[in-house]
Amino acid sequence: MKTFKFSVLLISISLLMNTACKKEPIPYLNGPTSQQITSDPTISELNNLVTGTESGMRNNIAIYLDVVSMIGREGYRFSGSEPRYTSDLLGAGNAVLDNNTFYLTNPWGSRYNTIRNAYILIQAATNSTYITDAQRKAYTGFAKTIIAYQLLLNLNLTYENGIRVDVADYNKLGPIVGLSDALTAISNLLNQGQADLTGSDVIFNLSSGFSGFNTASGLIQFNRALAARVDVYQQNWNAALTDLNASFFNLNGNFYTGINHVFSTASGDQLNPLYLPLNNTGENRLAQPSYVTDIEPGDDRINKVALRNAPATQSGLTSNYDVAIFKTNTDPVSIIRNEELILIYAEAKIQTNALTDAQTAINIIRNGHNLPNYSGPLTQSALITEMLKQRRYSLFYEGYRWIDVRRYNLLSTLPLDRPTDHIWKQFPLPFSESN
Amino acid sequence: MQMKKRLQLLCWLLLLLPALAIAQQKNITGKVIDQNGNPVAGANISVKGTQTGTLSDAEGHFSLKVSVGATIEISFTGFRTQSFKITNETSSFNVALKEDYARLDEVVVTGLATTVKRSNAANAVAVIGAQELAGTAPAQTFDAALNGKVVGANIIANSGAPGGGTSIKLRGVTTIFGNSQPLFVVDGVIVNNTATSAGLNAVTAAAAAGNSSNQDNASNRIADLNPEDIQSVEVLKGASAASIYGAQAAAGVVIITTKRGRAGKTRFNFSQDVGFNSIIRYLGQRPLSDAIVQSQGWDVAAYDSAKAAGKLYDYEKEMYGQKGFIRDSRLSISGGNEKTTFYLAGGLRKEDGIIKRTGYANNSLRVNIDHRISDKIKLSYSSTFINSSADRGLTNNDNAGVSFGVALSSTPSFAQLFPDANGNYPNNPYAASNPLQTRDLMTNNELTNRYIGGVNLDAIIQQSNKMTTRIIARGGLDYYNLKTTAIFPSILQFEINTTKGHSIQGMTNNVNTNWAGFLVNSYKPADDLSFVTTAGLTHEYGKYDNILNVATQLIGIQTNLDQAGAINVSQFRTQYKNDGVFVQEEFAFKNYLNITAGLRFDQSTNNGDYKKYFTYPKANVAWNLSKMNFWKSKTINDLKLRVAYGESSNFPAYISRFTPLNSSNIGGYPGSLVSTTLGDGSIGSERQTELEAGVDVSVLEGRLSLEATFYNKVVKDLLMQGQVPASTGFTTKYLNAGSLRNRGVELSLKAIPFEGKNFRWTSTTNFWLNRSLITQLTIPAFPLGAFGTTLGTYFIQQGASATQIVGLNGNGGIGKLGDAEPTFQMNFLNNFTIHKNWSLRFLIHWKQGGDVINLTQLLTDLGGTSPDFDVMQSNGKTAGENRIAALGVSSKPFVQNASFVKFREIGLYYTVPYRIKNIERIQLGVSANNLFVITPYVGYDPEVSNFGVGFSSGVDVTPFPTSKRVQFHVAISF
Repeated sequence: MKTFKFSVLLISISLLMNTACKKEPIPYLNGPTSQQITSDPTISELNNLVTGTESGMRNNIAIYLDVVSMIGREGYRFSGSEPRYTSDLLGAGNAVLDNNTFYLTNPWGSRYNTIRNAYILIQAATNSTYITDAQRKAYTGFAKTIIAYQLLLNLNLTYENGIRVDVADYNKLGPIVGLSDALTAISNLLNQGQADLTGSDVIFNLSSGFSGFNTASGLIQFNRALAARVDVYQQNWNAALTDLNASFFNLNGNFYTGINHVFSTASGDQLNPLYLPLNNTGENRLAQPSYVTDIEPGDDRINKVALRNAPATQSGLTSNYDVAIFKTNTDPVSIIRNEELILIYAEAKIQTNALTDAQTAINIIRNGHNLPNYSGPLTQSALITEMLKQRRYSLFYEGYRWIDVRRYNLLSTLPLDRPTDHIWKQFPLPFSESN
Repeated sequence: MQMKKRLQLLCWLLLLLPALAIAQQKNITGKVIDQNGNPVAGANISVKGTQTGTLSDAEGHFSLKVSVGATIEISFTGFRTQSFKITNETSSFNVALKEDYARLDEVVVTGLATTVKRSNAANAVAVIGAQELAGTAPAQTFDAALNGKVVGANIIANSGAPGGGTSIKLRGVTTIFGNSQPLFVVDGVIVNNTATSAGLNAVTAAAAAGNSSNQDNASNRIADLNPEDIQSVEVLKGASAASIYGAQAAAGVVIITTKRGRAGKTRFNFSQDVGFNSIIRYLGQRPLSDAIVQSQGWDVAAYDSAKAAGKLYDYEKEMYGQKGFIRDSRLSISGGNEKTTFYLAGGLRKEDGIIKRTGYANNSLRVNIDHRISDKIKLSYSSTFINSSADRGLTNNDNAGVSFGVALSSTPSFAQLFPDANGNYPNNPYAASNPLQTRDLMTNNELTNRYIGGVNLDAIIQQSNKMTTRIIARGGLDYYNLKTTAIFPSILQFEINTTKGHSIQGMTNNVNTNWAGFLVNSYKPADDLSFVTTAGLTHEYGKYDNILNVATQLIGIQTNLDQAGAINVSQFRTQYKNDGVFVQEEFAFKNYLNITAGLRFDQSTNNGDYKKYFTYPKANVAWNLSKMNFWKSKTINDLKLRVAYGESSNFPAYISRFTPLNSSNIGGYPGSLVSTTLGDGSIGSERQTELEAGVDVSVLEGRLSLEATFYNKVVKDLLMQGQVPASTGFTTKYLNAGSLRNRGVELSLKAIPFEGKNFRWTSTTNFWLNRSLITQLTIPAFPLGAFGTTLGTYFIQQGASATQIVGLNGNGGIGKLGDAEPTFQMNFLNNFTIHKNWSLRFLIHWKQGGDVINLTQLLTDLGGTSPDFDVMQSNGKTAGENRIAALGVSSKPFVQNASFVKFREIGLYYTVPYRIKNIERIQLGVSANNLFVITPYVGYDPEVSNFGVGFSSGVDVTPFPTSKRVQFHVAISF
């Protein structure tokens, strides 16, 4: 009996010891890991990275547009539980822009997260043995174009405080570079993207937001449209005109032709975070009152806002108008479209003193919005004023006005809603970048 | 494996030991009574050094066969153990037990399979008995029942939501990103205490702006346990005591022992509680006038007409003013014979919350069986099945204006929110939602079905005069299925024009299994010398699988997931395996000197290197001076010095080894987007070392005793999610970086201030404090756990307290504004026995200091509804104006002193002093929890945590208000 018990005991102890030693590592159960996907990815894995990169561009896009639109006095974002939209962004009293608060860190982080994904895509495409070189070029060209665009959005926030452009290796980040170096780097990245895309073979799918632009030539047009935007920010007016010609710019084309972020209710997809129902209470996206008071009679862009049943008020701010750009929660959000390109054309023409060409472009915009031809003086400064006004209305709540008045040193012309408000030129560098 | 060989060798050695000697046997009988002369049923009568023993019956009688010359010991929980030497003359005797108020004979754990009397223990182990846990004023859940009772613990209820949710931190914060909650062990089974989010974020968008953490106010699963089933709770507060649990014990261990059967007549205990709960306090309403309405930009005409029509409402009372009905029925049956005993218990609890359509139900069944296969082999089985359901409402932070509190914060009294005669709710023009409509139509339910079961085999495999060898094998299983259901019908104000309804349903399956085997060898070479050697193996396995479905665009009033226009599914799974090897030697000399040393080796698949064994040593000494021969003092009955050292750790989280790519789809294509947290393939455990020293003294026949403990706890290789420059594409990365230290004092004073024939007063006063310090940080200082510096945030910084709160200091800079750590805490537990039959008990809990980030007040200020908004202040502005003006300038108004004195429990019980037929005992009682709270804090409760159980408790964003409970009790035993 006793021996039997001991045998049982010994056998069980040996068993226990064996199970203890025969341990296997437990892999990640919830998806691919970056190490795994960059080793030698298949085409479908590469395509997942392309889709993830496109999708990731939308993350925190609402906060970005709210922030830029509020500081540029295009609109108000009221949120029942988030007072910092109306205090910090408008510089109420002594409130300042914080370097570690969501309105900066969330969009900034999401842009660099998408950039990281694009670099993972580049690394994965470089290491993949399943694709041809022409196919590889398409992946890297797309990735570089997206990286450049994402960098530009962050530069829009921190402006003269700069951004980090050399981020390919997260273990060895490059320095923070100033405005002009950053624009040069972005421009170079776009050029590299264009070079890669030229002659490449696109075998990945993009969403309907890229419809018409999902081939190598279409992506080059997208790339050059972005390059034209960067050119005017760099005041390279002639380059802007050259790049416009390589883009989908069309003076007589539809204003809304372009590339968009799209949304859907499909699983794993996102809804348009900028959509709020009209006459909503508690959570609001409202037009700054001057949008309506400054608009020319008959301008159909008044339809970008909608009169509310009752005004919305918070923290001493009141507006009667909802921002009404999005009619449903699956409406697309523009990345770049022909109307901006026409206005870039007008701007480049003004700056190169081709004033008649500029006037033609401005009239196309005006007529397109139910307004008569421009009747002001045909001088550079008057046309700049007109061009900026058209940009204000044509690109309302799309994230441009603050950047436009800033590059023309007109920040002080923005309206102050409350006597103690302030207008910010730029965000500080995020706290995490200062370490 | 070296270890394996050694163990085998040990077994063979033990086998060769001589068989036991046979001595002359005789039968003795006796009776056990207490100090009042009442019989003590269930007292344990055992022959010292053997497993032979019996229990006294209902009349206190016992009989036992013993050998002449043996010593028998009579013990009963709560009484001093007494021993008698059996001589040839002994045949029967009576034993009058004395209450062990200083708890010197209470048994506390020293190892995974060994125990020691408290008077010889080297650690201050907090023990909470059944009476203390649930005998005064029963709490709704187990976690709530612990609150205010554990010396050295900082226990914070997250909110007053039905179904619990409590953060338990033992001896300060022990981790920043690791698991901060202790390990819970029920009858040897390691149980899971995860809090699983119900996915409410899809509606509240709480994580969309300032803080991406879950703010869903989920309950943690330890709440499932029925407190009434529990016999005792032992709390190992730090590594010095808990290192026997090795790599999972860094946050302490809570060992729960459930009630077990006693041999003898089958006993039935039936008890019934009924009562109600109600809000402790309201924040109050802002008195309105035309001028105020005007200044808020509200509609003056609407105010005037509502006022004229008498339609001004106190929506806070409307929302939180329900008196919730409580009922709890329990039946336990216990009995058995000398071979087999059983304990069966069933409980049915149902409580309504203070918000309509909220509440908690817990139905549980317990079966505990003990069986002696022979006089040397004992088998125990413990099991419980729990079915619990909590309707938790919609509270806490949100960025969509939909949670009750956030909606109320901007809704004035003249808003018209009640439904019309047809049941249609008007839209609330002052917020994104009509909170009455939300309350009446939404569902947020957590439904749990859980089984916890364990088997314990204890066999003496060898016994001789000098040596006894036991083998103990233990296995256990904890399985639960948690179904979370959050339904937001399409008709709700915030759904009708947007997502048209949400049906959010989550399914979580969790399995934890553990087994362990030990050999315990007691060797007594001489009378005053003993060695207890333990060697063993442990294994733990856990698997967690959460599937969350978010269906939107609901069809009609349907809630089925497929009755929807769109559905989003997400899944999260984790798994781990831990293995441990454990050896321990306990040495006792002459009853006064106890020395223990132990070593544990642990490996885990959660470590970067899954094969690596980590070593956790421990050693301690307890020296009881009063048990030494020279000790003659009559005043000081017991004096013990003790010192203990131990190490333990905290495994990294499963995910920290990986940099995953998450699903992110667009245009119907599946996408992979890299996570914002960078993993570390070489991540290791964080390691805690703790040194504890203390003095225990008992005077005046145990009428006054003091237990004083000092500890120094150092945690190295802290698991961090260190902030990285966002331009890396990541927000944080997992790494081991830095050390923190906790030092503290715990004093426990037990006294019998008065003892008379008809009146007896016993009193326990505990005092404890803790100070933490980040001693080293190898990454830059970083904020965490709140909403950024503007609103006040925790800030991890070398040389500062781990729980400091920093924010804008009002002078354009950032500075420390407070600390969540209390200055000290005290509790007072008093028990008055009057005329034997009346018993009055109460527990007062005082927390001094400790700050909370109060953002509820900020929201009501911004919403214009703070009750003190218009109170004029010295600068000629109103309180509300001043606080709003501080926003973005100074965070001081949000960091508030959360000191409190809580009258946590009071109960008055009467035992009917005569027997009616077969009914042995009838007890009647009335009790109250949280009867009142004294606090300078402006909020529902200074105990609050918007972020649940993690590091950053103490953030207040419109929580579910805490309630007080009043209950009536009847208990019948027969």
